[in-house]
Amino acid sequence: MELLTYLQIGFSVALQPINLFYCFAGALIGTLVGVLPGIGPVGAMSLLLPVTFSASPEGAIIMLSGIYYGAMYGGSTTSILVNIPGEAAAVVTCLDGYQMARKGRAGPALGIAAFGSFIAGTLSVFGLMLLAPPLAKFALRFGPPEYFTLMVLGVTVLIYLAHGSMAKALIMAAIGIVLGLIGLDSISARPRFTFDQVQLLDGVGLVPVVMGLFGISEVLLNIEQVIRQEVFKTSLKGLLPTRKDWQDSAMPIARGSILGFLLGILPGGGGVIASFLSYGIEKKVSRHPERFGQGTIEGVAGPEAANNAATGGAFIPLMTLGIPPNVVIAMLLGAFMIHGITPGPLLMKEHPQMFWGVIVSMYVGNIMLLILNLPLIGIWVKILKIPYKILFPLILLFCLIGVYSVSNSVFDIYVMLIFGIFGYLIKKFEYEGAPLILAFVLGPMMEHNLRKSLIMSQGDFSLFFTRPLAAVFLIAALILLISPLIPWLRKKRKVIPKEETS
Amino acid sequence: MKKRDIISSLFWFALGGGICYGGYDLEIGTLHDPGSGFMFFWMGMVIIGLSLSIFIPALRLEGIKGELKTLWAGLRWGKVLSVLAALFIYAYVLIPLGFIPATMLLLTFLFKSVEPQKWGWAVFGAAVSTLAVYGLFQLWLGCQLPPGLLGIS
Repeated sequence: MELLTYLQIGFSVALQPINLFYCFAGALIGTLVGVLPGIGPVGAMSLLLPVTFSASPEGAIIMLSGIYYGAMYGGSTTSILVNIPGEAAAVVTCLDGYQMARKGRAGPALGIAAFGSFIAGTLSVFGLMLLAPPLAKFALRFGPPEYFTLMVLGVTVLIYLAHGSMAKALIMAAIGIVLGLIGLDSISARPRFTFDQVQLLDGVGLVPVVMGLFGISEVLLNIEQVIRQEVFKTSLKGLLPTRKDWQDSAMPIARGSILGFLLGILPGGGGVIASFLSYGIEKKVSRHPERFGQGTIEGVAGPEAANNAATGGAFIPLMTLGIPPNVVIAMLLGAFMIHGITPGPLLMKEHPQMFWGVIVSMYVGNIMLLILNLPLIGIWVKILKIPYKILFPLILLFCLIGVYSVSNSVFDIYVMLIFGIFGYLIKKFEYEGAPLILAFVLGPMMEHNLRKSLIMSQGDFSLFFTRPLAAVFLIAALILLISPLIPWLRKKRKVIPKEETS
Repeated sequence: MKKRDIISSLFWFALGGGICYGGYDLEIGTLHDPGSGFMFFWMGMVIIGLSLSIFIPALRLEGIKGELKTLWAGLRWGKVLSVLAALFIYAYVLIPLGFIPATMLLLTFLFKSVEPQKWGWAVFGAAVSTLAVYGLFQLWLGCQLPPGLLGIS
């Protein structure tokens, strides 16, 4: 009965015309971002964050959430038609989706990707709706040691799963923490690393850092090369999968939904890992594993379901604990805070319209995305043909003005450009930006909870091992950190593409 | 030796040292009363340690001589530099010139610089894009874009 009341609150918020518009705008922009290679959901969210300032907090979060799950839908279109993933979580879809297109089955591939995403996305929202309230109540037991160790675990998982060297990923995380702490000390109000710049007293802005690191640097890397993209010419008739396609795809979609949802909850998890694991599982359980990579529909259905289910799961730690499990959700956390709302265990109690409004809007958003992705595929194909030489100046302009409009400050533009150069160089030297951003967002919270914990325990670090939950989180993080030194654990560490940031 | 790892690790070593020094200057405090510089100091130490963990193995590796050049071999790095220069100049002139003139100039340059378009298309595209963004941010969203010389706000 209580759930019905909450749903009623949610529908009353989500179905307001203005919020329906924000949901539609987010889903549309997210799909566009997913279709276009070169800018990922994080870049898009940071571009649009200033646009949301004039919206209500609910409208802002609804729109930004729409970009996240919209990008997961859109990424499959370029994977199938162009063999270039629109965003990282759609990499796996290239393997079989493009092969299906080559065999003249682009329509069913696109169709099953859209339907599978819709089913998985809807199921994951359902899971979010059921799990979030009890988890929020459980999270009230979390104290500073639990929060600190959980954040350490989150950053550590992302480092563990980073592409390449863990040491490099750790350095990025440490830099991120340092950057996040620049500004006035929250306890002593002492300026820290502000170099006498008044603009740095409030700290380095999230928007300039993200737009520089992922927007500007990505454009610089792209213009350095000559990108040739050929859209596969095929008939897009017959988008509805056949009965056999549904029979073959039903279990992969079901497995992908559960796997994606659970992985989305875990710190450091997300659509990328979910899609890869789903592909691996489908290949393993299939009666014809030799067909994978040749254009089998299970290779599209499972991963697409998994990466969309992960989006719903990823909202759980954000909404109930206030801890973002991945970089994209870290952007949402930034948006919450900019609008003066602190997500966490009290969000449901203090802002029920926000909590349930966002959840219900995800139902609505999934329906909108199914409608957008099928009939509008022709338009997405046309957009894919826009040359990058036309797109990149517009992307740069949006970055510049988006950053400027946050606080009418040219200083922020300079910060963005500096981080753009930094992002460009670190990618050249085989470093990743994702751990930096997650640590940047979590850094102030980590310091705050660490200092509170040490004050509580009067400097005794054993506090983190005597409290059971904190001990579990910390031991898990330590195991991951020392894993490169243990041969059998080192073998298990798979190399995965970069996070869903580009 | 792997030059790129050596160079990057030396950079992090120096940066970590600077962060440690800054943290020490802010006061590290004690374990039961951490000071403002506590996290900075220890993060700096972590960075120093990690930079050494990259530096030492890189010294032992046999790599390609002049490996750094391969990072930019065959790539249009000149275009990157020119675009960056244009962006910094844009930031510098945005307030005095104003949004519309500065953006027109920037976009015309960008349309001409990387994959050159005809002048007519470049100027037309720049004008349309500038006005569209002006309409979106200034008129619809109510952002205050710099009026500059033309005084348009």
